[in-house]
Amino acid sequence: MTRLLVKGIGVAGAFGTGVESFQNALAEGRVTVGSIDVATGEGVQTVPAYRADTAGLEEFVPKRALRRVDHYSKLALLGSYLALKDAEMLGADLGRIGLVIASGYGATATTYAFLDSLISGGDNCASPTHFANSVHNAAAANVAITLGIRGPSLTVSQFDMSVPSALVSARQWLAEGRVDAVLFGAIDEVSELVAYLQHRRCGPRHAVSMVPFDAGSESSIIGEGAAFLVLTRDEGGPAYCGIDSVATGNIFGGELSLPDDALLLLGADGRSELARRYLDAVPAGGKAACYTPLYGCMPAAAAFDLAAAALALKSGRAFASPAGPSLFAPGKGDVSRICSLRLAGPSEYATVVMSC
Amino acid sequence: MDTKEKLKQILVKDLNLEEVTPEEISDSAPLFGEGLGLDSLDAVELVVIVQKHFGVEIKDMEEGRKAFQSVDSLAAYIEARTAA
Repeated sequence: MTRLLVKGIGVAGAFGTGVESFQNALAEGRVTVGSIDVATGEGVQTVPAYRADTAGLEEFVPKRALRRVDHYSKLALLGSYLALKDAEMLGADLGRIGLVIASGYGATATTYAFLDSLISGGDNCASPTHFANSVHNAAAANVAITLGIRGPSLTVSQFDMSVPSALVSARQWLAEGRVDAVLFGAIDEVSELVAYLQHRRCGPRHAVSMVPFDAGSESSIIGEGAAFLVLTRDEGGPAYCGIDSVATGNIFGGELSLPDDALLLLGADGRSELARRYLDAVPAGGKAACYTPLYGCMPAAAAFDLAAAALALKSGRAFASPAGPSLFAPGKGDVSRICSLRLAGPSEYATVVMSC
Repeated sequence: MDTKEKLKQILVKDLNLEEVTPEEISDSAPLFGEGLGLDSLDAVELVVIVQKHFGVEIKDMEEGRKAFQSVDSLAAYIEARTAA
């Protein structure tokens, strides 16, 4: 397959904004978990959540120009600007840049605000602005218009498999020569809807910290943020790392095959039903790490895994895993190849192999 | 609260005009272009706002164009139809 290069990274999450904040969180192994209040049948409940701040966007876009842009699209814009800045492409002609955005849930706050306005006011009084922002490709449109990206634009939503599926498309565009680079990113937001669902699933007692490999208890904490990468074909030049392969599949269609020389970056995120599957996937003698306790449980977290892997590969050192799995701790050894593993449901999987 | 005052508060809140307060909006300043700086997307939202908050439906585009000149003209349009 066409090997890709990661040229730039733009991240925003509970750890802060930008590569430096992310790197610090990875090095320290901890972030502060916030919360969201949500109305339920049992009154207002406080649900733990990793929250992201988009105030940093004002460095790039005047506040007035953002008044119709919702939180979800602001996250997309912030991740995009940061990634392009990191790749030294801000201000460049972006005519041959493609845009691929992955999201598990989409703009849930706006979508449900629109539905609320429809229910309370009827067809005639439904908010046009909410409707425009609730369309699934709205964030990509906001990014393309604001940054002047004129290549193809795509939004992919396939719940836990959103990021690897979107990455397959990005790679294909580059392989076909349709574009010279792809601004690739993932976003998910914490909204009252997501918090309500989490409360229904895990409440009333919520975990205050994630224990990703404890199959006996649910410890997922919802998260939000944006993780963007600038990708090109491997034609040399400075880069964080390369992406060697992207694969998605189902174990009923064939065994999950993992490289034996790579550090496994596991996407376990406190959902108890997946914990055992992740542990079982690690081969005997394998090394594994997991960084989800630094950004939370959300489908877009898979893109944070890719960003973390890129930073580790650039430095040549794996970050310590904040919450295990201790059996497979990467230690402080050198790392030159990482395989990011995402599992979903009883049988789905996706792997992204990255190397220096 | 009179119609103009209510209208200004609604404009700031529902159109998310973070850089202006209701008190700073002039009664006679143009709502679109120079003045408050609203645009065509705001016009669509404004039609909904007027119906939702005042129960006044703007069906005729020409009437709407005249009503959307300023807070003064919009308040007068609303009052004329709510008084009827």
